[in-house]
Amino acid sequence: MKCGWIDRVSPWRLFWIWAVIGAQSFGGGAATLYLIRRETVERQRWLTDDDFSRYWGICQIAPGINILGLVSVIGWRLARAPGALLSVCGLLLPSAGITVGLTSMYASVREVPVVRAAIAGVVPATVGLGLLLAFTMVRPLLRSARSDGRASTLVAVMLLLVSTIVAARARTPVPAILWCAGAVSAVAQWQLEPRQRPPR
Amino acid sequence: MSHHLALFWIMLRAALLSTTGTGNLPIVHQDLLSRGWATDRQFAEALAIGQISPGPTGLWVISLGYFVGGLPGAALTLIAIALPPLLVLVLVHGLYRRIGHHPATHGFVRGLALAVAGVFVVVLTGIMNTAGWNPTNVMITLGAIALGATRRVPVFVVLAVAAIAGIALF
Repeated sequence: MKCGWIDRVSPWRLFWIWAVIGAQSFGGGAATLYLIRRETVERQRWLTDDDFSRYWGICQIAPGINILGLVSVIGWRLARAPGALLSVCGLLLPSAGITVGLTSMYASVREVPVVRAAIAGVVPATVGLGLLLAFTMVRPLLRSARSDGRASTLVAVMLLLVSTIVAARARTPVPAILWCAGAVSAVAQWQLEPRQRPPR
Repeated sequence: MSHHLALFWIMLRAALLSTTGTGNLPIVHQDLLSRGWATDRQFAEALAIGQISPGPTGLWVISLGYFVGGLPGAALTLIAIALPPLLVLVLVHGLYRRIGHHPATHGFVRGLALAVAGVFVVVLTGIMNTAGWNPTNVMITLGAIALGATRRVPVFVVLAVAAIAGIALF
């Protein structure tokens, strides 16, 4: 069943729902996404499973934080422009407020010797968690390239290596590296897809 | 004032040119370090605070904005990351119907994400260069990877253990 635009929701109610989700989702994107899905698909039944997956797919190619894109699409669908704006504000404000609070508390004790020692331990741990994040980002990409065929896999591995080397060696603007990699991959995929996949 | 406007533009541009909450990191890193407005240590600190804060991944830049420009810097950064995601509405109501299922779109997203991961590793290496590749640091890095990879230990526990290790060892 398609619910369309009829069942409008108050944008302030949306604001409140996202605010609660934003403030209680610890552990980053996966936790937030899980809570958004549970609220909109399972509890309120505003979206079907298909709607949710389609919107999330579109958000992958949108700029900025994907989850903010997702709540703005849902907000627009349920309460148009005020819904989209208040949804983004709702998800951001409480959690950003907590972030600012933590940062200002930290900034005031930053030079205390004990804190300096603690941070000296936290910095390498952050690097470790970052490397783990990079690994979890790359794994599904390489897996999907492998299911596309050998040529796609080769392109993906080359892009990963070349972008790393260029970033490390040359003083190239980072956006240029990212967008060149995107463009090369787009052309490669466009040319390879029909050959690699038998026509259905 | 012009300093704050430049910060706003750096944050907005980085969010517009990338996707996800960490895709903007390499761009912001290059822009701020080249101006001498932030240090590798501040990046690591902002990332750590972002990890223990609630909400979506990507709020670390707000923490960084605070380090660079105080409360106004944090507020401007907040606005800068709130605007680009609204462009998804243009995608939903037009563009996506035409380009969404084109193989080149999937290819573009994949290439962009691979390059983000590659450049991200370079940034992390830079942070580690600043901190020093001594045995203690390497041990803590490997320990964090091991704890994080189990997926059972919450991130703030990993960071708390690292903080205690720091106090004990440094």
